[in-house]
Amino acid sequence: MSAPLLEVINLVKHFPVHEGIIFQKQVGAVKAVDDVSFSLMPGETLALVGESGCGKSTTGRMVLRLIEPTSGSIRFEGKELTILPAAQMRSMRRRLQIVFQDPFASLNPRMTVGEVLAEPLKVHGVGSANERKAKVEELLSVVGLSPWHAVRYPHEFSGGQRQRIGVARALALNPALIVCDEPVSALDVSIQAQVVNLLRDLQARFGLAYIFIAHDLAVVKHVADRVAVMYLGKIVEIADKHSLFAVPRHPYTQALLTAIPVPDPAVERGRVMLQGDVPSPMNPPPGCRFHTRCPYAEERCRQEEPALRQLGPGHAAACHFAETLPAFGSIVDRKRGQAFGRVEAKLAAYKKALEARRLAVPA
Amino acid sequence: MTFDIASPPRQGGEARYDPAGDMTDSTGLLEVRDLAVHFHSAEGTFKAVDGVSLTIRKGETLGIVGESGCGKSVTALAVMGLIPRPPGEIAAGQILFEGEDLARKSASELRQIRGNRISMIFQEPMTSLNPVHTVGDQIAEGIMLHQKVGKAEARMRAVEMLKLVRIPAPERRIDDYPHQLSGGMRQRVMIAIALACQPRLLIADEPTTALDVTIQAQILELMRDLRDRTGTAIMMITHDLGVIAELAHRVVVMYSGRVAEEASVADLFNDPQHPYTLGLLGSIPKLHVEEERLATIEGTVPNPYSMPTGCRFNPRCPFAIERCRVEAPPLREVRPGHRSACWRAPLEEHVL
Repeated sequence: MSAPLLEVINLVKHFPVHEGIIFQKQVGAVKAVDDVSFSLMPGETLALVGESGCGKSTTGRMVLRLIEPTSGSIRFEGKELTILPAAQMRSMRRRLQIVFQDPFASLNPRMTVGEVLAEPLKVHGVGSANERKAKVEELLSVVGLSPWHAVRYPHEFSGGQRQRIGVARALALNPALIVCDEPVSALDVSIQAQVVNLLRDLQARFGLAYIFIAHDLAVVKHVADRVAVMYLGKIVEIADKHSLFAVPRHPYTQALLTAIPVPDPAVERGRVMLQGDVPSPMNPPPGCRFHTRCPYAEERCRQEEPALRQLGPGHAAACHFAETLPAFGSIVDRKRGQAFGRVEAKLAAYKKALEARRLAVPA
Repeated sequence: MTFDIASPPRQGGEARYDPAGDMTDSTGLLEVRDLAVHFHSAEGTFKAVDGVSLTIRKGETLGIVGESGCGKSVTALAVMGLIPRPPGEIAAGQILFEGEDLARKSASELRQIRGNRISMIFQEPMTSLNPVHTVGDQIAEGIMLHQKVGKAEARMRAVEMLKLVRIPAPERRIDDYPHQLSGGMRQRVMIAIALACQPRLLIADEPTTALDVTIQAQILELMRDLRDRTGTAIMMITHDLGVIAELAHRVVVMYSGRVAEEASVADLFNDPQHPYTLGLLGSIPKLHVEEERLATIEGTVPNPYSMPTGCRFNPRCPFAIERCRVEAPPLREVRPGHRSACWRAPLEEHVL
């Protein structure tokens, strides 16, 4: 087995909270990320999933040191990133890139798309002006846009096209790892599917590894190899995709899976309904952080923090009672509508017609 | 009369919707006929809604799905009389609500209806509440305005409304300001405001889109429960077909300002008759089905200032034929209660 591309060990980020205007003193800290560890193999996709405020985006940004970690270690291609001086860290970012959520805010409105895409090449001193121009055209075609788009400004593009530009910019320096921070959440469903398919194609073509940050488990199921579920700054469950969706072991994962509205009115909805809201990360509950909302919480959960422990090959969860929880039927096997065959047949015809059209009109 | 919205159902259960019941009852609560809403700008006229007809029966939940810019929110705003004029105008059509045409009402007449017989909840619970008033005052405002009751009585009803939307410790929460509440709690307050005057029709514009999934599940469950108890009809606007499957009885799919398909929720998901609906269904990654690659809808929505001729979906449609590029398809009945605006419907006869 080869060495992991990225190893994150005991990563912590506490944002200090101050009070007072002139004489500031620290009154507490938001424990945004609290002791997170994971690793990633080359060409693999690890999804970080959770609700707002669980620390998934902070974790993603710390991997690139866009946010400085409070403590912990990030090893990328064998090098420790947390101690690198700024200049070396910048050249490291050739190998580590990010795609942001908001395709409207992440492109400079005063630069043409060509300039946006050439900038990383310029910063890292890659090629001559002419070579850069050729590279920009190549990048545009890789993400399904046309070379003449290079002279246009971001406002002339739709959300989905802008997200393609964001992906092209991340690809410019041939990275090994791209952190995708909710890359499709701001897009319409039909456009979401286009970008998801694009990300998968690029991964196959360039052997990219992704850290895919998302709150939508259905999208995650489609793109990820492994999934880490986060809650209040901690990983509560991490597993191979198939094992996570077939046998979720943590009650929070189970609740997340059943909370998603299923686009099929005939599916049975056995729902683990969570009460209340996510507690404040400034003052997380003692013991297991999930105990205030957990339907199965017992006395032990209120006092003792559960460790993330191995429950099967490649499957770990942080729950005292992971072995004795009521059985949770696999979400994949839930009953489908009786008439499902008809939609399937039509969808198959739709895909076939799309394919035929794609071949007839070369892009 | 004591205010008792919590006891099911009012008006002898007459308002309750029975999906298996008499579908031939054409007396809709709301009937929108050939509605056209135009916005005028320097670039020309933007026909945001272009000939939309839909009906909501008493107690029924109608889902309206579509992507950004398809006109679903503008349709709702037109019903509420909230189209800003200028630049907008209701260029044609009727909005019949309990037999009255809302499109011809004056601003003050609409104020009598809005928040009273029709009310609306918006997507952003953060921006649609007033930050400088307590949530109690904001709920009581509508009650005092429309039901002509005093301050003390209105406050009492506001507490009951908070209880109804399951906010814990409502007597205390009523004096909170919106910033003291979480996103889910704020959306509950919005629902309380909307239901305070026992409206006949509730318009919900993406009510759960800004919320986390576990909170979304709570709000959807609350809406379903309140609907069943009060018999309020709901116009549910969303881009999420999952939300539609959970809550709607019937669905209207909109594309580029027009209705593409209309069907009962079971028919729409089991037997879609418009290629756009099919594309939408194929685009969503499904949690409970294994699939290799998502079907997509190629390209993007057309520019509103230069709509394609013929069917507006034809440049993106894999089934398009010559006729689609020339002639706009009317919305016609493919099966009983199932209408599609597609020349190639029923799809199983023409494309399978």
